[in-house]
Amino acid sequence: MLAYVVRRLLLMIPTLLGITLLVFMLLALAPGGIGAGLTASSGQVDGSKLALQQAYLEDRYGLKDPVLVQYGRWLARIAPIKFGTPDQITLAGEHKSKPRAIDAPPLPEWFPLSDAAIAARDAATLKRGVVAAINETEREDAQRAYRRLETDYVSSRAAYRALTKKLGDELIEYAIAQQISGVRTSHGDCRFDVIATTPAKRDASNWAAIEALATQIDAAYIRALKSYQLIDVAFAAKPFREAGVAIVPAVISIGSPDLGVAFSKGRPSSVLIASALPVTILLNVIAFPIIYLIAVPSGVLAAARRGKWFDILSGGLFVALWSIPVVWSGVLAVGYLASNQYVGAFPVAGLHDSLADSWTFLPSFRDDGAFERGYLLDLFWHICLPVACLVYTGFAILAKQTRAAMLDNYSADYVRTARAKGVDRGTVAVHHVFRNSLLPVITVFVTVFPATLAGSIVIERIFSVPGMGSLLLEAITNRDRELVLANTFMVACVNLLALLLADILYAAADPRVSYE
Amino acid sequence: MTSKRPELRVISGIDAMRGVGATEPKGFWADAWSRVLGRTGAIIALGWIGVIALLAIFAPLLASGHPLVLTDTATGTRSWPLFDNLSASDLLLVIGAVVGVPWVSFPLRIARSTRLAALLIAGLQAGLTVVASVGVAEWFGSPARDLALRQASREAWFAWAASGGVALLFALAAMFVSPFASRAARLVQVLIVAALCVVCLSQRWTPALVDVDRYSELEASGAATAIYTLVPWSPTQGRTSLNLVPPGTRLADKLPAFEGTVPGERRFVMGTDNVGRDALSQMLHACRLSISIGIVSTGLAVLIGVSVGALMGYFGGKVDLIFFRVVEIFMAIPVLFLLIVAAGVLPRNTYVMMAIIGCVTWTGAARFTRAEFLKLRSQDFVQSARAAGLPLRSILFRHMLPNGVTPVLVDSSFAVAAAITFEATLSFLGLGPEGQPSWGQLLASATGATGLFNWWLAIFPGLAIFLTVLSYNVLGEALRDAIDPKLRKAAQ
Repeated sequence: MLAYVVRRLLLMIPTLLGITLLVFMLLALAPGGIGAGLTASSGQVDGSKLALQQAYLEDRYGLKDPVLVQYGRWLARIAPIKFGTPDQITLAGEHKSKPRAIDAPPLPEWFPLSDAAIAARDAATLKRGVVAAINETEREDAQRAYRRLETDYVSSRAAYRALTKKLGDELIEYAIAQQISGVRTSHGDCRFDVIATTPAKRDASNWAAIEALATQIDAAYIRALKSYQLIDVAFAAKPFREAGVAIVPAVISIGSPDLGVAFSKGRPSSVLIASALPVTILLNVIAFPIIYLIAVPSGVLAAARRGKWFDILSGGLFVALWSIPVVWSGVLAVGYLASNQYVGAFPVAGLHDSLADSWTFLPSFRDDGAFERGYLLDLFWHICLPVACLVYTGFAILAKQTRAAMLDNYSADYVRTARAKGVDRGTVAVHHVFRNSLLPVITVFVTVFPATLAGSIVIERIFSVPGMGSLLLEAITNRDRELVLANTFMVACVNLLALLLADILYAAADPRVSYE
Repeated sequence: MTSKRPELRVISGIDAMRGVGATEPKGFWADAWSRVLGRTGAIIALGWIGVIALLAIFAPLLASGHPLVLTDTATGTRSWPLFDNLSASDLLLVIGAVVGVPWVSFPLRIARSTRLAALLIAGLQAGLTVVASVGVAEWFGSPARDLALRQASREAWFAWAASGGVALLFALAAMFVSPFASRAARLVQVLIVAALCVVCLSQRWTPALVDVDRYSELEASGAATAIYTLVPWSPTQGRTSLNLVPPGTRLADKLPAFEGTVPGERRFVMGTDNVGRDALSQMLHACRLSISIGIVSTGLAVLIGVSVGALMGYFGGKVDLIFFRVVEIFMAIPVLFLLIVAAGVLPRNTYVMMAIIGCVTWTGAARFTRAEFLKLRSQDFVQSARAAGLPLRSILFRHMLPNGVTPVLVDSSFAVAAAITFEATLSFLGLGPEGQPSWGQLLASATGATGLFNWWLAIFPGLAIFLTVLSYNVLGEALRDAIDPKLRKAAQ
């Protein structure tokens, strides 16, 4: 059994790879590619700020690389095994990787580095002595210092990259005027290596602009280099807790996966999911026992009364319930049962009353004798309608399946034998037929669980419950790549684990089934 | 096909061997079909689906803000705005339905299956011609093209030339798949369809932009009289001052300027939505989206699923293992999650919606086909087909598929129901096709931002979704019971 579970867990890895690749490809299929969502949402009016933001995002997520390379990078962050310097995790749960070095400016053949830049670059190799002192003075608050240095590093890096892009645009114009071909990459960027093979034409019309930009880039490079030195030392001082356990220090470590930062919320995806996933699981965990408790007896009863009015009536009911779309039942429940216009017996939205935090956990009587329903009861009152909406579809599927499984067994020889030797109907139904029909009832979990999980997306939206479904819908409207990927990845994990659980239960219920 | 019992008479043994007096046994599908029709529920379900399909075809005629006849009071001249403003696809659909239904239902010398296939091919040809022509028109009209090219594309000769070219292209393709045996019959079929397409398309190449509210103002001022069809509102015609009007409200109740005039007495029978568009008109036009998405996306899913499943089941081994991993990937996550991601990032139109629902839900058909083919591949007739050296295509699709397709076809009725639910859910979540009325979108405005519950926007569209999904499910159940030999035996 253990070997089977381990093998199934290992088989999950290619499946998870496949599903994340599928979602990644879908996001890449979007008009404008993966980057469109990232840059579109940062819709500042200021042109220069937008260029900075774009340069930062392109740099951070490597948006100019092929999709598969980007996917590989995402996988490397998700993978529990990490190579190189381990990440550090802030108190907010954000992963900080080792800062990346600054590339040298383009076109060294035309615009050699200034002396100041060479000095700064050499300082980068010898840097420790220079900046250790600065770092020492700020050690008392390393985290705050790190954040300040990081802001500096990010902005100077983005400014440097934005300038480089601008130079590229000017050079493309220059190349068109000089009739040099093949200077554009597929993304419309400049290929500096092609330009470098031709001699500089100083009489070109936009030469002055190019030269001015080159000087600016030199200055920006010096600034970026200095900020990189500072942040690198600050990172090496380990201001935050290190992620994972080092196997070989600074080479291989095992740690928690980095699900990235949801840029639309400015918070780590893992934190957002950690608060949303329990809500969705709570809804499903409460719904499932209820589904089984009402569906199995009604299926058994319908099979036992085959062809009678109960069977016909319940058969119609199952199909009807199965056909009611969750969007409709949810809207009706909110409109008629929760809204104050009609019954108004249930809360309209959320999981808790606004005062619930000040209440005791269990129901109690206040000092003045008034009843207070407490945190737990309040929660149950809020999830009554969502759970009811989740239950009915699952109920219909399961009850139909139970009835069909029971009917299969009713025509078996052993049932006839049992009846012939005088066993009464009830005992035959419960002891003979039902126990043999248990297996299909467990197998149908594979159908019911994904259905209710999908149903909970809609239900969470209708009842404003902050679960995985609401999170996914928010992420997709904001085109938040990191959050969409993290969300689908976690949902796939939960779904696959639930299906594995069903298979294990299957073996437990039937001694004939063995996975050895 | 008489239901009279054959007369009893004495026949010799030789006559009996020749088949004299023997009754033709019913075919498998004919038998299953008669069993389905024996159920009251299934007949009601079929009737409802038929009603929805008819409403879908005739929606632009039934509900339109353009009057059927507009008479100028001063000069007495008549115009036909409803007909003038029908789009080419609406017109072709109506012609197709009016011609096609008698073509299939009246007894003719040609076999009914051939006639049905001819109608399907003609529909496909016309549909592709319209879609491609719209694409051509959009390509030439887009701001990315040269000004001269854009201007040329607005000329009348361009409409004729472009639609003619596209129509000829698809006519040529349709020649190869036409079910008629003789070349002349095929030629007549494809040319009729192509000519119809060209006539309809070239007249309506650029859509006319007409302010629909103008008619009621003309009427109110007494300058013209108008006769409308069933619902006098277009699905896209809305005024914010008319938003969330309950069912049965008159126009004059909300806009007092119309008090005492003819248009002022017109009612919003099912109320209006949050931007003041008539709900009934949208309900009627939305039939089109639901029916077409349900059928096309299921067709696509069956096509992909059967092809993949056939390969998996026939070859087994490595092919099976690899493709089954792919199937597992699609089953790793609830389908709705994938649909939301896809609908959220891809362009919002009907064709994309059909494609994504089809491409995500094919795993069911693949698993059914795989299981059937695994059983079939060791059977004698398959072995002999292989031994005879038939090509793979022939073995898979001519010999095995007809014997293994039953479970997929039964399941496809449920799949259509599921696809309609998916479409409604995505539209409800605001991820549906843009600029298209849909039941799910109407349902979404039932609980608006104001916090008020608008019951008419919950009851009517919800009921429409429910009844359509229920019909397909009931039909699927009836079909399964009619075909499943195990259940049938238990019932006897």
